[in-house]
Amino acid sequence: MLYFYWVIQMTLQEKLKILADSAKYDASCSSSGSRRQNKKGLGNAAPYGICHSFSADGRCISLLKILMTNCCIYNCKYCVNRKENKVPRAIFTPEEICEITVNFYKRNYIEGLFLSSGVIKSPDYTMEKMIETVILLRQKYHFHGYIHAKVIPNASEYLIKKLGRLVDRLSANIELPTEPSLALLAPFKKSENVESIMTLIKKNKSASFAPAGQSTQMIIGASKENDLTILERSSYLYREHQLKRVFYSAYIPINQDKLLPSLKIPPLTRENRLYQADFLLRFYGFKPDNLLDSENPNFNVLLDPKTDWALRHLEEFPKEVNRASYFELLKIPGIGPKSAKKIIASRRFFKITLNDLKKMGISLKKAKYFILCDGKYFASMNILKRSFLESNLILESKEKNERESCQLSLFHE
Amino acid sequence: MKGSLANSVCFMNNVYIYSGNFADLLDLVFFLITTKRKPFDIVREQDVEIRLLEERIRPIYQEVNTKKKWDKIVGKENTFLCQMAFRSTYTHKELAIYYYLLNALKYWEHTKDMRRLKCVNKILELAHYVRHETHKMKGFLRFKEMKNQWLYAEMEPENDILELLVPHFKKRLKEEYWVIKDVKRGLFAFYDRENVRIFSDNEVKQLDILEDETEKQIEKLWQTFFRTIAISERKNLRCQQNFMPKKYWKYLIEMEDTNEENT
Repeated sequence: MLYFYWVIQMTLQEKLKILADSAKYDASCSSSGSRRQNKKGLGNAAPYGICHSFSADGRCISLLKILMTNCCIYNCKYCVNRKENKVPRAIFTPEEICEITVNFYKRNYIEGLFLSSGVIKSPDYTMEKMIETVILLRQKYHFHGYIHAKVIPNASEYLIKKLGRLVDRLSANIELPTEPSLALLAPFKKSENVESIMTLIKKNKSASFAPAGQSTQMIIGASKENDLTILERSSYLYREHQLKRVFYSAYIPINQDKLLPSLKIPPLTRENRLYQADFLLRFYGFKPDNLLDSENPNFNVLLDPKTDWALRHLEEFPKEVNRASYFELLKIPGIGPKSAKKIIASRRFFKITLNDLKKMGISLKKAKYFILCDGKYFASMNILKRSFLESNLILESKEKNERESCQLSLFHE
Repeated sequence: MKGSLANSVCFMNNVYIYSGNFADLLDLVFFLITTKRKPFDIVREQDVEIRLLEERIRPIYQEVNTKKKWDKIVGKENTFLCQMAFRSTYTHKELAIYYYLLNALKYWEHTKDMRRLKCVNKILELAHYVRHETHKMKGFLRFKEMKNQWLYAEMEPENDILELLVPHFKKRLKEEYWVIKDVKRGLFAFYDRENVRIFSDNEVKQLDILEDETEKQIEKLWQTFFRTIAISERKNLRCQQNFMPKKYWKYLIEMEDTNEENT
């Protein structure tokens, strides 16, 4: 009882500080994919997503990302809000959440709300509270902006269905890449349960049920899986559950536990490589076993996955940009969907030279080693050897890293 | 007119003048192309700097607003791209538009794929820049609530994007009253829950901009959220600045502390 008294005494400022702080480890902040219209009220959704600010860690801020409460009955090893941690706890009332959301939204600080929560009393009770908040926001405050809600594991089906009809995106985190790691670090969560939630969302998804689909997140570096295992899991999730995004979050050691690795620095480069590979899976026609195999189950730290792949398959290069198909163009390091489309549109009208590529604004830093332009290679063909290219590319990527140590942008969908 | 024509045949560089709006530029370009005149440059009336061997010409033609005509001859996409590029601050945008439209007569819907032409690359680059900045500003604009419940925002974008922003906020803040001001250009967009009207500085009386008392509290909440949401172990200010260039910081409430540190 004393405990609750203390909670009530807090100002809104203090509460927001605690509940944003406990929500910050969730990677997803995208606001795209929904076409919700403004019907005599406040706000609409922008299908392409909008970033409203960027925090000091370079991540996009698009949604008001908060927990309803950081009190939790569970004790997951990696989680900052686990039961045994002595951190300040707080609970937002539904009204408080609505007030902050609407006031932030009106001033164009945010694109909408990302609501998650620790588990209080029971999963169903927590879900009911979350639903109450969202109903209030949609019906009393007439808010038609973007809402992303986290599904509480083990909640009843009818509650998930009810929530799905109110929000734009639902998500359930698989937390760790494999079942054994989950059993070890989060014994209260079951991977079948997370997957059954995903199946339920997939089955019900429509223009009026989570129109922006679902996403998930896993922690990288807290358990022993290699990159190949992780990528295969993602690929499975994209295929089986039609996820919009799988987010990877580099493990940041918050809790001391003998089951957790003692890292000093979060594995950010590894996280970046996984995101790059994730994009290769979704938009470039790559498969996990193209990029990695049991002999090389982890990504090269020094080179991005596509360059690394290309160096191991030099027999396919150089590719003639005037003839290569769209998917062949995409296999060239440094060329993405935009550049490939530009090349295809232009080459119907003239033979593309290296200079033309420059004029189109296509970066040739990496690409130049792997292409022929109208039969011409940019230098002597003798240099097309793995050892030579590798050292050049690594040198260039290092220089680039020093200039702009910048993570991959995470908000494209 | 006659005298200048004679000169143009000899040695003077012909610089054509238009009033400064897009419709007039289209009229001028139409006139130039139909009369087979080649401009050395096209400038706005206001830019009166005269250089050696240049002759300023203000041709007389019917002001017909050829926008619709252009849409028909070269396709809507091409005029749209030109209109976007026109909103940029590039000095020779008019000349680039002239050459682009000249080529559009020949290549029609394929003009934008003629990437070997300098004018095509330029127009696409400018149009992209304008659209990109509009998109960024949809996120970076910050409203403050005023005493009379109006929402008021100031911005200093590089390109002339006020008109492009207006439809977005009209849909989004349908039931609010709001004003957006482009500080550098002295333009205001007013929305009264029905229509948006755009005024220039001299048409608007001193605005009654008194902030509401609760405004400071909400700004403080936002600053708290902004600071808290960053993960200190992942600090990367360079990345932050890449996505959110310094030129936009002036009106970003959350960057106020950083602004003060710098000055």
